[in-house]
Amino acid sequence: MLVTGLFVATALLYAAAALLYLAHLARGVERLERRTHIMLGAAVVAHVVFLAVDISSGRSASFEGIHGTLSILSLATVIGFLLATVRYRIAVLGAFITPVALLFFLASGLVHDVAPVSPAVRNVLLPFHIGMNVLGIVAFALAFGASTAYVLQDRKLRKKELSGVFRRLPSLDVLDGLSVRALSIGFPAFTAGVVTGTLWMVRTPDGAPHLSPAHFIGLVTWVVFASVIGLRVLAGWQGRRAAFGTMLGFVCALVVLAIYVLRPELAS
Amino acid sequence: MNDVVVVGLSYRTAPVELRERLSATMSELELELRSIRGGPVDEALLLSTCNRVEIYVSASAARDAARLARAHLARRAEVSLDSALYEHHGADAIRHAFRVASSLDSLVVGEPQILGQVKTSFEAAQAVGSIGPLLGRCFSRAFAVAKRVRSETGIAEGTVSISSIAVELARKIFGDLDGRRVLLLGAGEMGEAAAKSLAQTGVSLRVVNRSADKALALAAACGGEARGYETLASELVKADVVISSTSSPEFVLTDAMIRDVVRARRHRPLFLIDIAVPRDVDPRVASLDGVFLYDVDDLQKVAEENLRSRRNEANAAERIVDIEVDEFEAWRRSLEVAPTIIALREHCRSVVRAEIDRTAAKLGPLDDAARRTLERMSESIVNKLLHTPLTALKSSDDEVEQAALVASTRRLFDLDNVVHDLESPRTDAAPALRKTGEPG
Repeated sequence: MLVTGLFVATALLYAAAALLYLAHLARGVERLERRTHIMLGAAVVAHVVFLAVDISSGRSASFEGIHGTLSILSLATVIGFLLATVRYRIAVLGAFITPVALLFFLASGLVHDVAPVSPAVRNVLLPFHIGMNVLGIVAFALAFGASTAYVLQDRKLRKKELSGVFRRLPSLDVLDGLSVRALSIGFPAFTAGVVTGTLWMVRTPDGAPHLSPAHFIGLVTWVVFASVIGLRVLAGWQGRRAAFGTMLGFVCALVVLAIYVLRPELAS
Repeated sequence: MNDVVVVGLSYRTAPVELRERLSATMSELELELRSIRGGPVDEALLLSTCNRVEIYVSASAARDAARLARAHLARRAEVSLDSALYEHHGADAIRHAFRVASSLDSLVVGEPQILGQVKTSFEAAQAVGSIGPLLGRCFSRAFAVAKRVRSETGIAEGTVSISSIAVELARKIFGDLDGRRVLLLGAGEMGEAAAKSLAQTGVSLRVVNRSADKALALAAACGGEARGYETLASELVKADVVISSTSSPEFVLTDAMIRDVVRARRHRPLFLIDIAVPRDVDPRVASLDGVFLYDVDDLQKVAEENLRSRRNEANAAERIVDIEVDEFEAWRRSLEVAPTIIALREHCRSVVRAEIDRTAAKLGPLDDAARRTLERMSESIVNKLLHTPLTALKSSDDEVEQAALVASTRRLFDLDNVVHDLESPRTDAAPALRKTGEPG
């Protein structure tokens, strides 16, 4: 009962913060920005308490399952965003990133009864594999937020709509720079996650490699991000095209997570 | 009781020829203030900008003070100003001061300079000692109102000149402009103005013109470096912002040329500002990834849109001003109520004290403890009896009702005579009454 109450409270706080960020983006009231940060801070505290109670209650045996992973992913995304706001003036990006964190958190609640990881596939690489994937997806979420804002800002500039949202969004240079920085952290981590996942897949008990739909889309995600980074370096891609590529890559990552949550049989 | 009066003229009522006759420098401001003060004027402030000249005074004889201010301005202008001058009294004068400081009465609504100009005038008035409690409070509130208006409304959002819009757009594309490269192509006036605005942000400016002499002269005027026209293609590759204002009848920057430039730049963003008429840049380049093209019509539309948006925000700002004027007036009314309250209390206490003295004389000698008890009891009776009427006097929000209550109280208790007595040097209460009655 307590765990459920904390889950609902955390979800409501995330939802309230997401709505306030959206309102701030739309209206741009300075006081709203401060209140939104406070609301998100409260959501983080509630989330930490929820995790502590969830673990101590024995409902979540470890973070090796998708339930725990999604919950941690949600918390890490918010913390990553808050840390990024210290370096960049990008509070308005909360309008794009907080809903993603809320989505992760709600999804974690949907898959509570998923079967624990089988001892056959559990090995020392598993926490590393999960940790790297979480770090990668958190960074991709930040890159996604920056890229979405970039596309919006680019559109506003082209359509000459220079009021409201245009003024509140950061410059294209800042958004592109943030996206590059996030990809440069997220891609190596995600690559490590994919490599360990592949090794793990090859060393299944029956020894026969099996590529599930989730694994396949995971590899597609890696290829998309690798292409975006490659084209940035080799062909000078930046701006709108790179932003669309980053958004596509993140959507692929979301599809993988959605398979784990909604159709777990397609992930094994 | 003093009132605030403002007499002045502005761009709304007087042409520039008339305004410039009245404009004053800083040292002149102080001299002017010294000459205005005295007679019916207790406090004075002179505001002189290119768009307005106004005298704010605080005086008990408001009409006389206004006449004096009018005469002063007419003398300085050496022409008749009757049709150009406006005059506001009391709450209207306060509202005018708040609106002026908040840039609601400015030629360009929301412009930031006026607040600094009002502050400078205020400091000048303080320096010559012509600011007292009423104008002091009025202008310190005016500064607070201006700050509130700027932070709570979008009145200052969006620039309204072509040059500032160019800078704002460049910042939205490139972030910090320090070290960015700007290329000025052609010698049009608007192009030069935009280049000068950008040059102030720390950009590196290059000037390309078919005439080498013009390029050199423009580069010197804007703080940039001149380049030969043959270097145009390579300068385009290096530039981040291009301002084009040539008099060419054909496109100077064609679609094919910009496509080549974009490739050579490896898709780095390029901001093209085409201020020429006829246009210098082929509009098809606007569809290229990383290219942002604004022509003179686009910039004009942005300026108009920003002005419209500021005017919309001005409605919200006017509401803030209304609230602040009401609060100021409530504070001012409280000053009018205060002397009545003090007089009423003193009147009641003096009556009770006289009765105690009379009664004590009949009772025979009283020790100190008994006398103190009697005094405490009388004080308590006075406080209890006066509680309800004093609360009514203090808490009335309606100006008319409050004035009626004050008048009734003074008549019922004959307080005007009591006050007269109290203000005479023979009574102990006079200093306290005068002190509390001053605006604070």
